[in-house]
Amino acid sequence: MRIDPNIVPEMLANLQQSQVSLDTALQQVSTGLSVNEPSDNPTNAAAMVENTIQTGDLDVYTQNVSTALSTVQTASSVLSSLVTSLTSAVSAGTEGANGTNSSTDLASLANEVQGILTSAVTAANTSVSGTYLFGGSGTTTPYTADASSSTGYTYNGNDDTNSVAVGDQTSVQVNLPGSQIFSSSSNNVLGALSSLVTALQGGNSSDIQTATASVDSALNYVSQQQVFYGNAETQLNSQETFLEQDKVTLSTQANSLIGVNESTAATDLSQAETDNSAALAAVAKVLPNNLLNYLAPPA
Amino acid sequence: MGGLNTALLIGVGGLDAAQGALDATSNNIANVNTPGYTREEAQLSELPETESAGQITGGGVSLEGLQSIRDELLNVQIQQQTSLQSAADTESASLQQAQTYFTSTGTDIASALSSFSSSLAALSANSTSSSAQQGVLAAGQNLASAFNTAAGGLTGVQTAANQQIPDTVSQINSLTQQIAQLNGQLAQVPAGEGGGTVQDQLDQAVKQLAALTNISVTQTNNGETITTGSGTPLVEGDQSYNLQTSTGTGGQLEVLDANGNNITSAITGGTLGGALNIANQVIPGLMTQLNTLASQFATAFNSAQAGGTDSNGNAGGAFFTGTANLSNAAANMSVGLISAAQIAISSSTGGGNGNVANLSAALTSTLPSGESAADGYAGIVFNVGTVASNASTQSTAIGDNLTQLTTQQGAVSAVNIDEETANLMRYQTAYEAAARIVSTVQVLDNAALNMGSSTSF
Repeated sequence: MRIDPNIVPEMLANLQQSQVSLDTALQQVSTGLSVNEPSDNPTNAAAMVENTIQTGDLDVYTQNVSTALSTVQTASSVLSSLVTSLTSAVSAGTEGANGTNSSTDLASLANEVQGILTSAVTAANTSVSGTYLFGGSGTTTPYTADASSSTGYTYNGNDDTNSVAVGDQTSVQVNLPGSQIFSSSSNNVLGALSSLVTALQGGNSSDIQTATASVDSALNYVSQQQVFYGNAETQLNSQETFLEQDKVTLSTQANSLIGVNESTAATDLSQAETDNSAALAAVAKVLPNNLLNYLAPPA
Repeated sequence: MGGLNTALLIGVGGLDAAQGALDATSNNIANVNTPGYTREEAQLSELPETESAGQITGGGVSLEGLQSIRDELLNVQIQQQTSLQSAADTESASLQQAQTYFTSTGTDIASALSSFSSSLAALSANSTSSSAQQGVLAAGQNLASAFNTAAGGLTGVQTAANQQIPDTVSQINSLTQQIAQLNGQLAQVPAGEGGGTVQDQLDQAVKQLAALTNISVTQTNNGETITTGSGTPLVEGDQSYNLQTSTGTGGQLEVLDANGNNITSAITGGTLGGALNIANQVIPGLMTQLNTLASQFATAFNSAQAGGTDSNGNAGGAFFTGTANLSNAAANMSVGLISAAQIAISSSTGGGNGNVANLSAALTSTLPSGESAADGYAGIVFNVGTVASNASTQSTAIGDNLTQLTTQQGAVSAVNIDEETANLMRYQTAYEAAARIVSTVQVLDNAALNMGSSTSF
């Protein structure tokens, strides 16, 4: 059978093919990716869209968790000290109500409770990097002294709560408005402390007793509110753990979708190099051969 | 009985035959690299023997002519595969370009969606911060411009394909004119010669035509009849019919036959078929998906925005604009807010940053298409990748097939230098031997003429 004498096109096709393999192997090694454009693997390239978005969000969620944690922890510790202060206020009230105090004693107790009131206001106005913890979404100082108010202070914030996104469709409420903690209609902490100061200054045991009881009730109320922050903290901590795991999952997924096994890629590259040199060597060897090389030139 | 003259005639016939064969060989060697050249062989046959007085004498050799060695069936297969490959190559080139707009580059829609989503998450943690608000606005602008870029990229690919269509049609017309002319010349070539040079040129022109559109070739008494699509004549005998292009009602380019009939849908092969498929099918399909995504996403996000209150205390205005017209939603998408304060952060009912979660949810919620924005975009990436990968796989597969067919054709028709070198020596020897017959007869003639002359002894 006659064979195709023209070996050049086939050789060029072979050379081109080995060049393509070499380019592919080189690209995989240099980029570390097996899918460099959608046509390399349409399914995986499509799956990477979701992965890219989730991975991008994950960093922000992680950052949000740590910001939210610091907010919640600060608020929680502010409330803890407030509880301690209120406990002292209750002791002071109880002591003032026992009827054996001199007016000097009562004045000193009143001063002590006044100090506690001031620290409670300071606590209520706590801010973290410019944001008031107990001001709702307001940006002004939550509590300011107001002589016309029955409690002596006005709440300038609002009732809004803020939620921080810490996962897809997952957000954690990170604040309670001051109106709920410090100046709620049923248990007004600042009002109770103000009344106690007034009662101690007045010296009427029964007034002091009533005022002390309402401070005590406010104390219990604040303790209950503290639970909210404890829960938020627990939720944020577990979310943090979840996000860490998710990060590993996503990066493993990304790697399996579009990553390249480095040892395989390196082997492929070296294989492609060998193939390419072999193809080139074959062309160099075969092309110059023909019958004329072996015939004596015509005399 | 044959005499010396018979021997002389046989010798001269041998010289002619060897010379004809040497002509074929030298023409083959000279055209070894000529595209479309088909090797020639000298057609030799025995002349009838003569019988005289009971004696039979051979009649020598006759040179019937030089015949081109070709296999028409292989040519037809090569034409078909060439059409297919050319279409796949055209599509592959366009789609390689198109898919760069859907490759993860940091500025593609996936990256922009990711940044937009992240910026909203960051806003939820710090909703009063103007830098977090600006971040959302900027990420929204990036997302809109990522849509613009992708739509612009697809349009660019479509425009390039649209420019290719009239160019290809005019190349087709010039080739069919050339083929019609060659058909006319072919009619004058003697039947026994396999068409010779004219047929070589014709085959070459038809192969070029096959690369431009899908054709069907029929051999007739008037040369080759060539049709495209579903039987639209391009060449009949020495008559060619021009194709033309026109713009259809939807703005798409259409191919018309010589009588003005629309034959676009029947053009499936060659550069023309590939370019038509890209310009009228593939790109519009992807564009529709992209526009639908842009429009539905913008609507969903705007409705989340409308459900909230911005930092100025107003109801949230449209965040994205330009997406009302579905046919160019992706290209015209832009951010409608003038300042970051117009982002509807607060919930109209719950206050605080309650609406940020709704804005974020618009990115993950199911759009009317039945998918989330990310899944919708992933679907487009998948489709672009699949069509691009199919076109290039097809091109490779047909390329292998075509190489195989070309090798087979080469085995039949290509010039082998070794063979021609051997033939050169063979016919040289034959020529020398035939010349020797002539010179021998001449010596013998002289001997016969000088018979009886004293000088000869």
